[in-house]
Amino acid sequence: MAGTTTSASSARSTIGVRCIIVTPETTVLDTRGRFVSLPLFDGQRGVGRGHAPFIGRLGVGEVRITGEQGSGAEQVRSSFIEGGFVEVGQDTVTIITQRAISAATLDAKAARANLEALRTQKATGDEAIAARLQAEEAARAMVRVAERAS
Amino acid sequence: MAKARALDRRRRSVKNIRKITRTMELIATARFKKAMDRSLSARDYTLRLTKILENIASIGTGTGLEHPLLEVRPTKRSAVLVLTGNRGLCGGYNSNIVRQAQAILGQWRSENVGLHTAVSGKRGISALKFRGVPMDERYTTFEDKPEFAAVAPIGRAYLAAYQAGEIDRLDVVYTKFDSIARQSAVTETLLPLKPPEAPRGGQQAAAAPSSASQEYDFYPSAESILEEILPASFLSRLFKCFLDAAVSEQVARMVAMKAASENAGSLIKDLSRRYNRARQSQITGEIMEILGGVEALKK
Repeated sequence: MAGTTTSASSARSTIGVRCIIVTPETTVLDTRGRFVSLPLFDGQRGVGRGHAPFIGRLGVGEVRITGEQGSGAEQVRSSFIEGGFVEVGQDTVTIITQRAISAATLDAKAARANLEALRTQKATGDEAIAARLQAEEAARAMVRVAERAS
Repeated sequence: MAKARALDRRRRSVKNIRKITRTMELIATARFKKAMDRSLSARDYTLRLTKILENIASIGTGTGLEHPLLEVRPTKRSAVLVLTGNRGLCGGYNSNIVRQAQAILGQWRSENVGLHTAVSGKRGISALKFRGVPMDERYTTFEDKPEFAAVAPIGRAYLAAYQAGEIDRLDVVYTKFDSIARQSAVTETLLPLKPPEAPRGGQQAAAAPSSASQEYDFYPSAESILEEILPASFLSRLFKCFLDAAVSEQVARMVAMKAASENAGSLIKDLSRRYNRARQSQITGEIMEILGGVEALKK
């Protein structure tokens, strides 16, 4: 079922899945790739061509687009996103998130320093603790993505 | 005669002012284009969130959509957010907003509703301070490029306050951008949120297995997604208010400075005419004096 060389009716330019990343300020990415892996709330999920339509809540983590049109078949474009929603349908993956940063522009050292600073922060009270844990998880994910990309 | 000199001085001064207003008009035009681009780029996010909301609404949970942010309560305490500019020279932009804000604040006060007033923009802050309006929050950092990262904390504070019952309503007074020829000062109620409606014909379309409508799976569940998406939709609406206000301010300044430049131009024309007349009559007077003197010496 999976595979890029399907019937002759599918034109070269409509190969794979279309991946769009939208943030409140602008559309960050609109490209096509063979395979998209995205961080759903409970873990990574992969989407290939012909995936059943779904709407999901996203967690914090990495969006990986493999085999992007115009680059090598195993080339991966990685982006860090922070929460949001994903709509998958008709061979299009639309990621709607509040923050999206291309992994290539992430600074691993700065991300790690940020994580360390958060871990030493004090928080009292349920709400503050929950907020700090969330921020820590986001920072940890950012470090992961940054170090994987570098 | 001194009159010609005075007119010339005035004319030079008006020419300098016209240089400034022309420059301000050009800068406002450039900033307007940038602000407009940012506003258009931001539209996609809101549209897609709305699409998901409509999808959830169309599947129709049995009990109807319920969420604390949709809950309509009797208004005991209302929050008002007023968006003005930091600078003047933009025509009626700031004064229209201040007038509108006073109207809504007066209305709430007359109904004995507690108020939480937040004002963004130095012009609004000083205008309301002059009118003795108590302000709970003041923001002066929003200029022509409002960023989502700066608006989000304000929005989240309102969400928390609404869910904790500290406020029962949020009204935003800002200048809505309809088109380049039309901007109007409006008051919009952002909280409580309006329940999302299924797209028209959604119920029938959902039954038909056509490619136009899709039966989506929801992970983890439609209710859980709804719970997260309503705050996100509110934040994007709040951000749009800030974007609209920024675009409208630039348009208002563009129009005001253009009018000022044109006024200055016609004033310069008038002054030039009067200056030339004064100068010529001065020369004529001097010639007459000389001729008179010559006549007197002849006799």
